[in-house]
Amino acid sequence: MCCNENFEERNRGEKIETTLDLSDISGMRFFDPHVHMTSRTTDDYEAMADAGIVALIEPAFWLGQPRTGLASFTDYYSSLIGWERFRSSQFGIKHYCTIGLNSREANNEPLAEQVMEILPNFIFKEGVVGIGEIGFDDQTAAEEKYFRLQLDLAKEAGLPVQIHTPHRDKKKGTQRSMDIAIEQGLDPYSVIVDHNNEETVKEVLDRGFWAAFTIYPFTKMGNERMVEVVKQYGTERIMVNSAADWGISDPLAIPKTAALMKKSGVSLADIELVTYRNAITAFGQSGQINEKDFDAVKHIDQSLKFESNSVLRGGQQPRIDKNSIIIS
Amino acid sequence: MMLTTVIAQIIRRNTGDEAMDWLEQKAALIRTEERSLQLNLAFAHTPRYTEKKNLQLEPQEVQQLADQLPGVAADGWTADRLARVWLLMQVPAENKDAYLKKIDGLFAAAEMNEQVALYSALPVFSFPEAWLHRCTEGIRSNIGTVLEAIMYHNPYPAGHLPEPAWNQLVLKAFFTEKDVTRIIGFEERANHQLSETLKDYVQERTAAHRTIHPEIHKLIEQ
Repeated sequence: MCCNENFEERNRGEKIETTLDLSDISGMRFFDPHVHMTSRTTDDYEAMADAGIVALIEPAFWLGQPRTGLASFTDYYSSLIGWERFRSSQFGIKHYCTIGLNSREANNEPLAEQVMEILPNFIFKEGVVGIGEIGFDDQTAAEEKYFRLQLDLAKEAGLPVQIHTPHRDKKKGTQRSMDIAIEQGLDPYSVIVDHNNEETVKEVLDRGFWAAFTIYPFTKMGNERMVEVVKQYGTERIMVNSAADWGISDPLAIPKTAALMKKSGVSLADIELVTYRNAITAFGQSGQINEKDFDAVKHIDQSLKFESNSVLRGGQQPRIDKNSIIIS
Repeated sequence: MMLTTVIAQIIRRNTGDEAMDWLEQKAALIRTEERSLQLNLAFAHTPRYTEKKNLQLEPQEVQQLADQLPGVAADGWTADRLARVWLLMQVPAENKDAYLKKIDGLFAAAEMNEQVALYSALPVFSFPEAWLHRCTEGIRSNIGTVLEAIMYHNPYPAGHLPEPAWNQLVLKAFFTEKDVTRIIGFEERANHQLSETLKDYVQERTAAHRTIHPEIHKLIEQ
């Protein structure tokens, strides 16, 4: 869950038209363990597949518009394991998700109570690789209550946990999230602490948790800073993601970061760990990730249908030529 | 002069007789209806009559408003925003449950400009304690104008929010690059917890080679 709140910083930049050159990392495979595809377009799916992303995890999150009823949550969770997964498969990308009640909406307690009742119906569905993204936003008592309850659920189900750390009061929020995970009896090795920065990474790694970094313009990490983090802390239990969503974000954050790491002299083995392998090791503890599926989903047939719906409309061709100014 | 009269004068002078006559006619219905039909209709319908021009206030109007609602500055508000606040002031408050239900119904289905008006009305709503949750929810919004309606020249947050929610408002203001000098109670409600959090925030910004808002230092204990 991200939000691009620094509008001024965002709009300050000069607008330069260039062609993205990712030839340095051509042939590499990437895994984005945090990206909200529900908020993205088919252009993004195509660009991600072209840049080497073979699989992704979509955490359940706040859609920007607060939900007012239980049915909205039910339909959202169903879409993560249904329509969105199908849509992703149409672009050759294996789609997994984590299921949880996000921290912002945990503050609507009457609704949160009802959501807790339906979560058990979803967490053992195929391709659900964890409970997430959960944790703190404002660090209220209600957020803590539902965070703890969901950690209990993860422990009982033996599922990894994807923790969203807050934008505001991040350092203390991150420490508190880890304290609570340990108090609820979780093994730090099953917990992925997300949205780290230079101020939080050391303690997260020292305490045995996974440290995820979100490469997100303006509000989170830039990838030049990420290269420095990897140079300083190595690659053990470190992974990067895009957390691309409805804000100004970048679904190609992982391939771009890999390219930048290569240019900066990081070894290919290390790049593979932080952009692919570590995420699979961490979320693979769910028993739900099989790398052979990444190849199986590559045999794309966009004429397939999901509940009689296709991503193709009115005799459309499966692929469009983006370099042509003609849209036919 | 009563607050509703002051506001009605401002609206009439800015939007003309036709719009204000329509509002008064609707207000009479809102004051007597048991259910929320007229309120819901008029609340949504308002900008079609008042339009959305920025209000110009005479010096004595600014003064009259400030006497009745210290801190509120409607200068520069759009006409529909003040008109909606005025309509909200017509909702009868004798029956608390009915009152809360009516206002809650508006919050539940509000589009952006309606949200702005509803949060602007926090200081004039009856039963101030009943709106604490709505106010903290509003601070969670990512819609800039909604945040500004709560943060700028609005005495409700400083007057009623408990410390954790107040601190979130201030933090969110810095994160979204708001003009914090317009927050009522900005310095008065400085506290130790907020100071500690802002110290971490300054460190984080420094580590990321980002700029630090100069007003932050006013809230950090030396």
